[in-house]
Amino acid sequence: MLSRVANLLPSELHSILGRIPDRVKEAVEEIRIREGKPLEISTSEGFWFVSESGSLHSSPDEAYKPSVEICRKLLEKVTNHSLYTMEEELRRGYITVAGGHRIGIAGRTVLENGSVRGIRDVAAFNLRIAREVVGASASILPHLLDMSRRSILPALIIGPPQQGKTTFVRDLARAVSSGAWGHPAAAGWTGRKVGIVDERSEIAACVRGVPTFNVGPRTDVMDACPKAEGMIMMLRSMSPDVIIVDEIGREEDADAILDASHAGVSVIATAHAKDLEDARGRPVLRRLLDEGAFQLCVELRRAQTGGLLSRVLPAAASKRAPTAREPTATKGGGAFG
Amino acid sequence: MVKLIGAALILFAGTMIGFMQASRYAARPRQIRQLGYALQRLETEIGFGFTPLPEAISRCAAHLAEPAAALLRGVNERLGEGNELTFRECWERSITANWPVTAMKAAEQSALIRLGATLGISDREDQIKHLRLAMQQLKAEEDAARDDQARYEKMWKSLGVLIAALVVILIV
Repeated sequence: MLSRVANLLPSELHSILGRIPDRVKEAVEEIRIREGKPLEISTSEGFWFVSESGSLHSSPDEAYKPSVEICRKLLEKVTNHSLYTMEEELRRGYITVAGGHRIGIAGRTVLENGSVRGIRDVAAFNLRIAREVVGASASILPHLLDMSRRSILPALIIGPPQQGKTTFVRDLARAVSSGAWGHPAAAGWTGRKVGIVDERSEIAACVRGVPTFNVGPRTDVMDACPKAEGMIMMLRSMSPDVIIVDEIGREEDADAILDASHAGVSVIATAHAKDLEDARGRPVLRRLLDEGAFQLCVELRRAQTGGLLSRVLPAAASKRAPTAREPTATKGGGAFG
Repeated sequence: MVKLIGAALILFAGTMIGFMQASRYAARPRQIRQLGYALQRLETEIGFGFTPLPEAISRCAAHLAEPAAALLRGVNERLGEGNELTFRECWERSITANWPVTAMKAAEQSALIRLGATLGISDREDQIKHLRLAMQQLKAEEDAARDDQARYEKMWKSLGVLIAALVVILIV
């Protein structure tokens, strides 16, 4: 894992992190660098402070403390010596670099008319190492097929944070777009046009608008675009068969998803929720489920072994199932006819 | 006969020294002006083009005459070496290393080095402000250099010959 971000780190940090045990090196998910504070790494199992010799400690006393100079070097490396080209990123508080890695930054913010214009004096970094799991959706995709339209059914992907939702939809985009349906009945189906609205640049990890993850040959990405607006723009201009969005939750997201689903586009969206019942507790999600924007609901969990556990349910499974199912059929059909 | 050749050599050398000094006075404002152009171009690249700094600098260097171009090329060479220097260090080292080749003086050098400490590490507005400030300083230095040129260029041209003549007279 660590070798993937080696080119981003100043050599001092790189050599210190190079000395940590190999087993941990493989599992590192985040590297936290704070000016004058202990260097910290975290994996799915927990976090440690790293000493100068590369040994791991749970107390911060012996840890290596990056200097001002190191932080400046790191900032220059990740921005290619050109912080001014990253104004939008600074406003959002993170920089996405090639390979999809995300560097969260914190420091003193600069305000303009009361809203954040950027960050000056960057003093803390959180380097999140991206992992692309090709094939993460392979076992679930066959359950999501829409046999009549030779496409994928609209589905809501739910799970708590850090459970692999984004990894899953990214692989789903790749599979749908390249036509790797993984079902015997779908052997002759072609890939579908996929539109990804990637508000937080997490799904495709675009660098200058070009995806750095493999999201498939027929995929268009609207990078760093507000979801609701992006979905409408996609609908208007890119004629997608499938739209993929991450972490829906606002009222306007729901409007855009309903719009898209009425236009005959399968929307795959992810949302934070423990399970389907929990999702129904969120007003926006309940509205979408009730109005039949989704036909399926996939609950995701990260397995202890590192894989994904999933449960595919009909989205209209709860009490109001019949009323919720009805509009789905008519609306979908209506939009197509 | 030998005396005559010696006298001619002394005269020639004196004249040349005088002309060289004079040409340094003529070159200084010209070189400062070139640097000013370079900074102006850098301002455009940063302010409107959002060009990353290494690329912006190499573009500026491509349109400049020597020795100002060498200053900028030196910065990029040091950045590309991969020895983990910050931009400020690369900038400073390149300027200090290339400075003796130029006809410019310490005042311009310190203005440039101050600029180097801010390039690339703040937002666009800030960058533009710093570049404008450096350009103003260079402009002031250019004016001073022009005064010096008017005052000393001619003087050195004749002074070289005259001193050489004096030496010849004294020797003879």
